[in-house]
Amino acid sequence: MSTPRASGYFRTRYEHDQALLDTRAQKAWLAAFCIALAAFPFVAGAFALDLANQVLLMSIGAIALMLLTGYAGQISLGHAGLLAAGAFTTGILFKEAGASFWVTLPSSAAVGALIGLVFGLPSLRLRGLYLAMSTLALHFLVVQAGQEYETRRGHSTGVLIDPPSLGGWVMNDPRAWYFVLLAASIATLLFSLNLLRGRTGRAWRAIHGREAVAAALGIDVRAAKLSAFVVSCTLTAVAGCLFAYYRGFVSAEAFSLFVAIQYVAAIIIGGIGSILGAVLGTVFVVLFPYGIEALMSALGLSERLSSVVFAVNYAAFGLVMILFLVFEPQGLVGIWRRVQAWFLLWPFKQKPVGK
Amino acid sequence: MSEALLQLEKVEVAYHRVITAVQGVSLHVPKGSIVALLGTNGAGKTTTLRAISGFIGLDDARVTDGAISFRGERIENRAPHEVTARGIALVPERSKVFENLTVQENIEAVVQKDRAAGARHSDAAWEYFPALARLRRRDAGYLSGGERQMLAIGAALACGPELLLVDELSQGLAPLIVRDLLQRLQEIRKDLGMTVLLVEQNAALALEAADHAYVMENGRIVLDGDPQRLLAHQDVQEFYLGTGAGSRDGMRRNYRDVKQYRRSRRWYG
Amino acid sequence: MQLAVNIAVLAAIYALIACGYVLIYRVSRVLSLAHGELMMLGAYGLAATASLFAGNPLVAIAASAVLALAVGFLVYGLLMWRMTGESVLAAVLATIALGILLRGAMILAFGTQTQYPLQQLGWANASIAIGGARISGAGLVLVAGTALVYGALFLFLHASRWGIRMRAAGQNPLLAAQRGIRLHGVYALAWGLATFTGGMAGMLIACDAGIEATLVTIGLKAFPAALVGGLDSLLGALVGAWIVAGAEVLIIQYVDPLLSDVVPFFVLLAMLVIRPWGLFGTCEELDRV
Repeated sequence: MSTPRASGYFRTRYEHDQALLDTRAQKAWLAAFCIALAAFPFVAGAFALDLANQVLLMSIGAIALMLLTGYAGQISLGHAGLLAAGAFTTGILFKEAGASFWVTLPSSAAVGALIGLVFGLPSLRLRGLYLAMSTLALHFLVVQAGQEYETRRGHSTGVLIDPPSLGGWVMNDPRAWYFVLLAASIATLLFSLNLLRGRTGRAWRAIHGREAVAAALGIDVRAAKLSAFVVSCTLTAVAGCLFAYYRGFVSAEAFSLFVAIQYVAAIIIGGIGSILGAVLGTVFVVLFPYGIEALMSALGLSERLSSVVFAVNYAAFGLVMILFLVFEPQGLVGIWRRVQAWFLLWPFKQKPVGK
Repeated sequence: MSEALLQLEKVEVAYHRVITAVQGVSLHVPKGSIVALLGTNGAGKTTTLRAISGFIGLDDARVTDGAISFRGERIENRAPHEVTARGIALVPERSKVFENLTVQENIEAVVQKDRAAGARHSDAAWEYFPALARLRRRDAGYLSGGERQMLAIGAALACGPELLLVDELSQGLAPLIVRDLLQRLQEIRKDLGMTVLLVEQNAALALEAADHAYVMENGRIVLDGDPQRLLAHQDVQEFYLGTGAGSRDGMRRNYRDVKQYRRSRRWYG
Repeated sequence: MQLAVNIAVLAAIYALIACGYVLIYRVSRVLSLAHGELMMLGAYGLAATASLFAGNPLVAIAASAVLALAVGFLVYGLLMWRMTGESVLAAVLATIALGILLRGAMILAFGTQTQYPLQQLGWANASIAIGGARISGAGLVLVAGTALVYGALFLFLHASRWGIRMRAAGQNPLLAAQRGIRLHGVYALAWGLATFTGGMAGMLIACDAGIEATLVTIGLKAFPAALVGGLDSLLGALVGAWIVAGAEVLIIQYVDPLLSDVVPFFVLLAMLVIRPWGLFGTCEELDRV
């Protein structure tokens, strides 16, 4: 549901109110955007293509986390654990049973749902800070379990996975990956939007607002919380599975606490409470290290600091997160909306009551 | 009129920049007097008190017009501890004591602007409320309602203020205890020259103790004057004391309906 | 006996770090997840002052202590005061972001090699025998220091005026402001003290084993100790530290040494399931989002 536009456009039917796209201008922009998306892999270089793939991949997990934390209000700091669960399921099934893509994907989803249930159980008793701590603890446990598998099976540097094959056609072309990931990302987006507009989404928003009131209105609070966790974790586990195939390689170090923080940062920087925020935040977080690198080479520092470039990334990332938290709590979406509002309203700007 | 310790001139307070809760309120609180501020729920009494004590910023409210002067100095929209440092102490309506601290610690936690006189001010708390002295080691959370109120007033006294703002003294307390507390306030006023601004819903008890009273309704002052005169005023009797000639069908009407009510009384006698 | 000594030293470490978590949470209701990094900053501070005041080890130690205190005040004054009044998630994320920033900055400033401040101070880490077990000099100072710190904190919080005011501000900030207590000052003091004790822990661990990246994980592992005891109880932090340290050492000894990093989180989860507010914490409504 989009925000109402400037005067002159009025809705006269319920369908118009509920439609995802209102005006002709919006539809035109969307069409142009779709064409651009479809044409992108044919005009972009290999580096840009890889970046786009990373963005698309991370966006699935970010949207899932936004559903859980932004809409349902259940804070989860253990998201990387879910990615690890999906990735390791894929890795284990591939290594031990030589399973194909058609088996590992649903299995990852199933494992994700199961672990989502486990992650969700503490939320029935805990809220806020304590819930965040429990998800943190569970994250460590899941990653440790993956680590255990690696050491016991002697894959100390990680599990190698062959690229998935669909009936003879092996998928290791970045362009093919682009379209697959784009499809997955769009599917996640549409699925989430649909979910949010339906009963489940409304139940989540209610429990985010005030649990007691939601319960008084007849919403099954426990079911809503668990469903939020299960849906979010399933999506993330699927993302983890795709991640494993895309990288061709699964290792426990890839799912550190920093990765979980990156996801949380993506939804905060993007702006909590909107799917657009999840996408914007993802783009920001993925492009950020490369932006810092470009900045460093522009400033001529890249030589001196080449050995500690990850430290520069860390420091800059922390700083930017702090800046957003302090100065722009509504994130990139907040900035976007303010710019929009300024353009839409400037002939009619009013001063509020008082001085 | 004697010199004003606290003066409000046409003060306006707005919430969220759009809802005006207090409109053009002017109060004159002379030094060494007890002034009562009466009114029903939602009249704006507590908002006025919070505007004076500096706490309205918490609810995204501001004093948007007018002036609040204490000893001639403007204090509107200042931080709470600055207001306290100038000599104004607030006895709040809710959460008036530190529940997990003992009575002794509650009094000790107070910050006194004047270290030398500090001990004297703390002693005042024990002196006027001897019951507290017997309860020094008890956790404040375990005190009864009356004891809590005594502790709250005592802690406010320990700040060594010149002006005491008391919000809803009688809330949740038996009338005899309230009477007793009001008597203590009068003693404190006599001995220490304390000025008291009393916000009250229990108009009868407040009017007994006060030197001057204001009545608020809908964010404005509608009546003010000598308490004896107000006690005899028919509208006050009707709407705040419940002792008036009685409305026609036994229901006490809201002051807002006053025009219609008066018209109906004229017609039906 | 050696086991008991090991548990004692580890418990002292956890207790010293945990009291920082508890101090900040109790007074300002903010969970500071930057504590591990602040610990490490304290350790690096010692290394820096040791090389600065080479030859005057006592001056170096005093300087680094003052530095740790000052850093705590700075952290509050520059960042955390803006987070007062924001949602819990925002404040916690701010501390996480601060931790990330500090970690990156420390690597940039001090490099990635292990440093040994004890050597720079010119002292040796003697191994002392106690009834059949061995304990390092730094370990002994740790245990004694932790006891001292806790004693001093208890005294401060319960017997001094400002300690009482800190507890009051933690319970009811609004009322505290009405009684003239400057909340910003109290919060800054809490951060200063917490960073001081955390820095102290970092310095002592560095003296024992050198400054490495694993120092930060020790900080994170101490958090379950604070939670098990109750996030707003100092006594709880002490007890929790013993429980977590005991569990960790015993499981390393008898079950599997690789589990050392996850044992505290097992204990954390168990506690969250059984009694979320810890052993001695106040049973607050957990509805603080």
